[in-house]
Amino acid sequence: MSERFLIQPDLDFVKDIRALGGETLKKCYQCATCSVACPIAPDNKPFPRKEMIAASWGLKDKLVSSPDVWLCHNCGDCTSQCPRGANPGDVMAAIRAKAIDHYAVPQSVSKAVNDPKMLPLLAILPAIVFLVVGLVLQWLPTGSFEFLNFSPQRGDAGQIVHSNFFSHWLVDIIFIPLSIWAVAIFALALKRFVADIHANALAEGKTKKEKIEFKPFLASLVRVIPDILKHKKFSQCGENNNRATPHMMVLFSFIALAIVTGVFFVHLYILGWHGPYPQIHPFKILANIAGVALIVGGIMLYKQRLDKTDELSTYKDWYLLWIVIGLGVTGMLAQFTRLAGFEFLTYLIYFIHLMFVFHLFAFLPFSKLAHLVYRTVAMAYNDYSERESK
Amino acid sequence: MSETKGAPLSGTIMVVGGGISGLTTALEAAEVGYDVIIVEKNPYLGGRVAQLNQYFPKLCPPSCGLEINFRRIKDNPRIKFFTLAEVEKVDGKPGDYKVSIRLNPRYVNENCTGCNACTDACQAEISNEFNFGMDKHKGAYLPHEMAFPARYVISPQIIGTEDANRCKEACAYDAVDLEMSAKTIELNAGAIVWATGWEPYDAAKIENLGFGRYPNIITNMMLERLASKNGPTGGKILRPSDGTEPKSIAFVQCAGSRDENHLPYCSYICCMASLKHTTYIREQYPDAAVSIFYIDMRAPGYRYEKFYNTIKDDEKVTFIKGKVAAVEEASGDGITVTAEDTISGEKIRQTVDLVVLATGMQPSAAASKLPADLQFTEDGFVVNDFEKGGMFAAGCANRPADVMMSNQNATGMALKAIQTLVKR
Repeated sequence: MSERFLIQPDLDFVKDIRALGGETLKKCYQCATCSVACPIAPDNKPFPRKEMIAASWGLKDKLVSSPDVWLCHNCGDCTSQCPRGANPGDVMAAIRAKAIDHYAVPQSVSKAVNDPKMLPLLAILPAIVFLVVGLVLQWLPTGSFEFLNFSPQRGDAGQIVHSNFFSHWLVDIIFIPLSIWAVAIFALALKRFVADIHANALAEGKTKKEKIEFKPFLASLVRVIPDILKHKKFSQCGENNNRATPHMMVLFSFIALAIVTGVFFVHLYILGWHGPYPQIHPFKILANIAGVALIVGGIMLYKQRLDKTDELSTYKDWYLLWIVIGLGVTGMLAQFTRLAGFEFLTYLIYFIHLMFVFHLFAFLPFSKLAHLVYRTVAMAYNDYSERESK
Repeated sequence: MSETKGAPLSGTIMVVGGGISGLTTALEAAEVGYDVIIVEKNPYLGGRVAQLNQYFPKLCPPSCGLEINFRRIKDNPRIKFFTLAEVEKVDGKPGDYKVSIRLNPRYVNENCTGCNACTDACQAEISNEFNFGMDKHKGAYLPHEMAFPARYVISPQIIGTEDANRCKEACAYDAVDLEMSAKTIELNAGAIVWATGWEPYDAAKIENLGFGRYPNIITNMMLERLASKNGPTGGKILRPSDGTEPKSIAFVQCAGSRDENHLPYCSYICCMASLKHTTYIREQYPDAAVSIFYIDMRAPGYRYEKFYNTIKDDEKVTFIKGKVAAVEEASGDGITVTAEDTISGEKIRQTVDLVVLATGMQPSAAASKLPADLQFTEDGFVVNDFEKGGMFAAGCANRPADVMMSNQNATGMALKAIQTLVKR
């Protein structure tokens, strides 16, 4: 042997992968059926066969920094054709969970978000934050302004106004820093992530580009976004093809709701128009369509996971789906009960709705939802790297 | 052998299956003085080996090993055999079994001289299962040219048709008996050896490998028939789609083997079979290129390893470590196979003229459980219970094996059967 290579296995990493759903990892005997079965693996260094052996050997550095684990869309075609029941699809999902973990700081938050035992605490955390911040602001001498009012007044036309309970000031004093927090964590993570996946691609001969140049990289990003929106890769999947449509519903709902939030933010703070906005307001209609799509898509995804017994679904999968469905259901119910005039019920549901939103923002970089960012960047990088595809 | 020196002779040994294992058990027991009955479901003895072109370890044609065994059977009055016979029921205990055997009609009696007149007279053609359906034979036929017993068969498929009557009329020896019907007989046996052998795994079940979809994807056993002088092409390896000589051939190892979705175990023989097939191809076509896609090459033992190394030295033969997991038809009836070369980490798409699936062996007992109080593995192999004794499995009924191992095992089981009788 002319080349010497000292393998430094991270045994805890192997344990973690197995705990996160890659239990079957060690059954793999490297036949490479999976790499061929995969409808979206490139010709040059296809996945997931090489990830299977690297995971088995505990080569954490090689895996968390691999763009390939993100190119995988968890189709499950590899798993269904695997002759050993080694479930490469589950292993890839487990590696992605570890990668999210690896790049999201602070690590303690990451641990808590991915630990089911911490869920009760995390669930009440936003409630505590809201009440404490609300009460503190209330206690400050701000005149007659009510940040938090436990006996909220009705609006001028006698309608229920959610912001008379939780003032939109209180909501935004919490949510604006939270969004900044999410963005900042992603920014920090991406800085490392992009450098790492490039180093990985260079080391494995997946690219000839020496450096990442910002402008062409951005151009790649712009190029892949339409494919992502159209779920071009996702719909090439065999086994889990039926997930593409509900996933698209959920993604588009989130985009629509983000737009709606932006528009109403402008309404409120720039134009000074207070809600609730009329039901026939075009953005209100959009919000309602998105809300329904979110619930339907979320429930479909949930059901598909329940039905698919040969594929493992772990806490991180369920957590994200709970958030998606919870957001949709509480959002719609808050609206219905408000229109129906059920005061107590509607304030309660609105409160719960805010708790879900809190989770979405605060834990986005740590939860499975972070795939939104990592996969997009990895796909952009793959385009940029000019790696040989089919 | 002198009778006085013989072991206490009591009872009979029944051998179910007249393939290489069954023949071996039967001869080993009979030649030391025991009475043996062979029950074979085909119209001929010889089993899978009869279908091979050459077999390990010496790459002999099957006539080599089988003919001498047939001679020994003919010469030994202690051996009786039934063809077209199936065991229906086994009752009793070690040393004292009652076996019901169904004898299916051959419609040809012992008057048959093998003159071929019935075949000439018959018009209907039926699929030739001896050649895995790659050609047809007449409704009245000799199973294959060295069939033993060398007696013609009339297929049940033509019974009741004009063809059957034509055969009867054509026979000058009154050998065709259309009135024959199935009957069940009962025999006693002190010990039973199950040598029921194996079936090639049904390649059509391996969906991603395209067998049955594309004519130029064949199985390893089909290649044996193509390479055999008495096969459908007279021994020329030709593409099924157009009868042309293949210039490039890919072997797909572990086709449906070591695979939870198919046969979870290694069939032991397929690696050596493909290496052997490579020699057939290289002999017939010195310019043809052979690619062997494998997960692990298994060449157990010194001799097989040596054989493997010889093939590896052939520059026309390429070994690719990576399982073929997808096939599609290419222009000109070619087949494109896809695999990841796990050494280079690149996906390979190779278009070849002919693809050979190295399918594994499935015990015959997997399809229909043997009608006796036996233990089976999940995959249908018989587990030998030496404690209980009385009934034993030999050869591929017991585990995947080559001819050499089957014969060693079969010899051992002859001894086990004898011990059952002697202990009584």
